Amino acid sequence: MSAAQGGTQALDSARVADPATRWSDLQNGQTALAIVAMLAMTLGPELAGARYWAPVLQLAVLYAASAIFMAILRFDAGQVSFGQGAVFALAAYAVGIACGIHGMPYAVGVVWGLVAAVATGLLFALPALRVQGYYLGFVTLSAAMVVPEMLVSLDAWTRGINGISLSLPALAEPIAHGVSPLALLIALLGVAALLLYRALPATAFGRRLRVSAESPEAARALGIDPGTMRCWAFLLTAFGTGCAGVLYPPLVGFVSPNAFHVELSILFFFAVVVGGAGQPLGPILGIGLLFLVPNAVLAQLAEYRLLIYGGLALAVMMLLPAGVAGTLASLLKARAARLRAPIRLHDVLQVLRDAPPLAGGGDDPVIEVHGARKRFGHVIALDGVDLLVRRGEIHGLVGANGSGKTSLLNLLSGFSRMDQGRVLVLGRETTRLRAHRIARLGVGRSFQTPRMFADLSAWDNLRIGLDARRGQPDAATRAVAEALRGAVGNRDVEQVPHGQRRVMEVLRVVMQGSFVLLLDEPAAGLSPEEREDFASLLIALRDRLGAAIVLVEHDLSLVWRIADRITVLETGRVVAQGSPAEVRRMPAAAHLFLGGGGA
Amino acid sequence: MLQELAIIAVRGAGLGAVYALVAMSFNIVKVSSGILNFAQGTMLVLAGMAGFLASRLAEEWGPAEWLLFLPPSVAGIAALLLVQGAITLLPLRARTGHQDSWLITTMAVSIILGAALLLTQGPNALYVRSVFANVDLLGMRIPAPYLLSIALAVATWLLLHLFLTRSLTGLAISALWQDPVAARAAGLCVFRLQLIAFGISGVILGAAGYVAAPMLTLTADGGLRYVLNGFVVAVIGGMGHSGGALIAGPLVGIVMMLAGYLFGGEFQNLAAMSLLVAVLLVRPEGLFGAPGMRQV
Repeated sequence: MSAAQGGTQALDSARVADPATRWSDLQNGQTALAIVAMLAMTLGPELAGARYWAPVLQLAVLYAASAIFMAILRFDAGQVSFGQGAVFALAAYAVGIACGIHGMPYAVGVVWGLVAAVATGLLFALPALRVQGYYLGFVTLSAAMVVPEMLVSLDAWTRGINGISLSLPALAEPIAHGVSPLALLIALLGVAALLLYRALPATAFGRRLRVSAESPEAARALGIDPGTMRCWAFLLTAFGTGCAGVLYPPLVGFVSPNAFHVELSILFFFAVVVGGAGQPLGPILGIGLLFLVPNAVLAQLAEYRLLIYGGLALAVMMLLPAGVAGTLASLLKARAARLRAPIRLHDVLQVLRDAPPLAGGGDDPVIEVHGARKRFGHVIALDGVDLLVRRGEIHGLVGANGSGKTSLLNLLSGFSRMDQGRVLVLGRETTRLRAHRIARLGVGRSFQTPRMFADLSAWDNLRIGLDARRGQPDAATRAVAEALRGAVGNRDVEQVPHGQRRVMEVLRVVMQGSFVLLLDEPAAGLSPEEREDFASLLIALRDRLGAAIVLVEHDLSLVWRIADRITVLETGRVVAQGSPAEVRRMPAAAHLFLGGGGA
Repeated sequence: MLQELAIIAVRGAGLGAVYALVAMSFNIVKVSSGILNFAQGTMLVLAGMAGFLASRLAEEWGPAEWLLFLPPSVAGIAALLLVQGAITLLPLRARTGHQDSWLITTMAVSIILGAALLLTQGPNALYVRSVFANVDLLGMRIPAPYLLSIALAVATWLLLHLFLTRSLTGLAISALWQDPVAARAAGLCVFRLQLIAFGISGVILGAAGYVAAPMLTLTADGGLRYVLNGFVVAVIGGMGHSGGALIAGPLVGIVMMLAGYLFGGEFQNLAAMSLLVAVLLVRPEGLFGAPGMRQV
């Protein structure tokens, strides 16, 4: 991947203030602002000698750091958790038990705290392998309710409702200018969390998280197991929340079950959403609004604390549905120019044509289907289909709507299981293999509704294909990648016309390094010239990269022009198979050409 | 021992019937709008408090008068749910930003109501004495609300089933579940149907809270427990599947009672959570739900 980026820096410097750049400037500005706010809150009171404000502001930063990790889980991984308070609590309690009861050094307590946090994260992550979204919200919410109950009832270890007090004077003693090591640690955690939050979307891991969150199917087609990605997200979040949790006991000097009621978990979640969906300033704004305002600014109204808290959250969501920072940012984004700009494929095609033809690819079979049967309830989608696709062949799959074309594609790519029959990829049986495993074998696919991700730039939408590639890309792919990067540039994916998004998806499959391309109506919605380009693209992919292409397409003239072999399906059965000229002469395919639909 | 187990079974089934009612109320809103209403628990507690007021008055009167107060409290809770529904649905109509503001709005309403209860009632639980005498059943003395809750759950399931399959409004709400875009295109007024669903959920919660008041923990922050257990039942029964909820409810109730009996009351929620995790790992679509069909 890094090799593909090399040498394209010139393109970067040439870019003017396009929307994507302005967006990134906005994000950087927010991050800088949030860092300044965190430093001011942790170090400010101690530098200024305002000892009274230090603990509550530093606690707010600890909460904000937890909220930032929650934001990663929420917006990068698309998961709901109401249980991060439980993770925070267990990390804090582990320190409390180790240092406060057993008198171990703080460093040992920290290790135990992080272990406890990650173990809890693992518990959350296990259900995440199977389910997602609000299901996990409830699992984690019950954990947030159960943990304080357990802390009370397991009083042999936790001292129950009385809690554990501990003093760690070494951390609280000022070392210079009135600043304590503890304040430095808290500031460090806050800033590190922010930088991670800002940097994550630009990494391959961050892009994989985002793809898994927004379209699990697309992730599987890219060889990513979305469940595993959700697991990692929960573990990362648990580790970060644990880092905040272990700093709680030295700051407050006391842990008790009452401090970690389910409200704490809900506060973390609220802060993230109310502060602003996916914005760097969001978590700290949210904690400021929902924690500092009711608890510190309006401290004299203590009995109305919950009312103020709930009222603020409700009011923000009614008035600014994307949260404070989110709504402001989207207003600024809307002001950026929104023009539709088709991608010019000529350059990409030229690069492909210049690539040396693949030597010695041969024409061995890459996909074999034997007697595939699939039924959905009473509907028989596929009724004993045989198919053979060779390397370097464009195989057209045609037939009326409902004849089983997409069903067959889904079986090939592992998105559904056949009831009877076998599939072999390169001679290896894949009938029972899960979709992401089949994708890793080199079988890529596109979707009828292209899976494009509005949060990623157009180039990043293609780059997730490169991310998915096993091993280093070859010279030809690198050249294509560079040409593509030049062609799509930094534009917003929303600017790309709908028809071309399908083409982008096909190119993503190419970046992925698949030698089998399963394309589901890729040319729908393209203009006649774009169709020409697209046809040459497929031919070039076949000839220069040696790809085998299975093409489901309603435009029969396109299929007959470029396909090497054609299979005609009718109500789940193969009624004709052969070269375009042969199929044309078969009576079973004659009806396809009624009304002049053919070439 | 056998006697104790029988009592656990009946009480568990009674408590489970309340969870089943909460789950059905979850389902109708979920079916119409995809929203899971977190404020339901607090609404149930509010309905229970209406039951508390009525039982105070009925102490001097009798079961007939107690019954007289049922319709106004149900109407009150239903009205409250309608208002809450409007509050929840309005931000979703603006198509900007992430469509999950309901997570916040429903929970914030729950927090606000809980805070208001705390300010007016204080932190202590209200205890409601049932106006009915205990019932003798196979030599056990069962408090009447347990049996009434079971009867209410069965009746609610039956009425919901008839409503969703026989009435035009009910069919329209089912259509929203199958395909909201097509339903909108077919000219259904989605917003109004979703509000109606909130209202129905209010009727269910109002009746459930009022009838089950003597067995509920009526505290300002007690609502969350009912939301959670209601959700556990809804998932185990199959999301959107009220018949499943009717069976899963008593199941969950009995498991929780058993856990409380064997290990102590504070382990009830742990038992419910373990059950939820186990079902999600083994059969995420629930016992009676159908697995998702086509993804692509």
